[in-house]
Amino acid sequence: MPAIRNQIRELRAMRDMTQQELADRIGVTRQTIIAIEQDKYSPSLETAFKVAIVLGVSLEQCFQYDPRGKR
Amino acid sequence: MATGLSYREKSLYASLAAELLVYGPYFFLHRQNSVNKVAGMIIAIIVLQIILQSIIAALTRNRVTDERDRLIELRGYRAGYLMFASLMVFGLGMLWFHATVGHFRLDNRMMGLHFLNVFFGMLVIADITKTATQIVAYRRAL
Repeated sequence: MPAIRNQIRELRAMRDMTQQELADRIGVTRQTIIAIEQDKYSPSLETAFKVAIVLGVSLEQCFQYDPRGKR
Repeated sequence: MATGLSYREKSLYASLAAELLVYGPYFFLHRQNSVNKVAGMIIAIIVLQIILQSIIAALTRNRVTDERDRLIELRGYRAGYLMFASLMVFGLGMLWFHATVGHFRLDNRMMGLHFLNVFFGMLVIADITKTATQIVAYRRAL
């Protein structure tokens, strides 16, 4: 289980937003959004805030930290 | 899930292909007996890289690079540096050993070219390590 998990895929689906649209709005590549959604990459604090703002939720609703997780 | 390749990934695959295409034949097929061959190899890699990177840039609409790209790039440079430093230590050790037991004849005209090839080979291995590390990092969790 990764230390930082996220609900980006679900939140994005609720808003009918594609990975490319989200990537364009926060200024990263679609591959980075894919890596974040698959818990293969933990974004910087700045990118995490941007994701939360674009999805219209708080940071805690978007990202969760599990101290027992790996990494 | 099919993720496709980002601009940076395509660029890295092209770099690796160019490196293997130019350095491979030089180190494994030719006799490394001429400074002109070294110069030719350097020119070949520069020209090939310019052509390949231009094609990729022209064919890729979205050329955004982000924080993950920069992190992966740094990891690649770290791996490349560690490889180069390790090879240098090994090479200097071998040099010291052979100099101690008297294998070297420094008046030999080919000795300079031999050293040129050895050190250039170290750079090539370090560069390929850097590129390969970056390609692997794109496929693994960071």
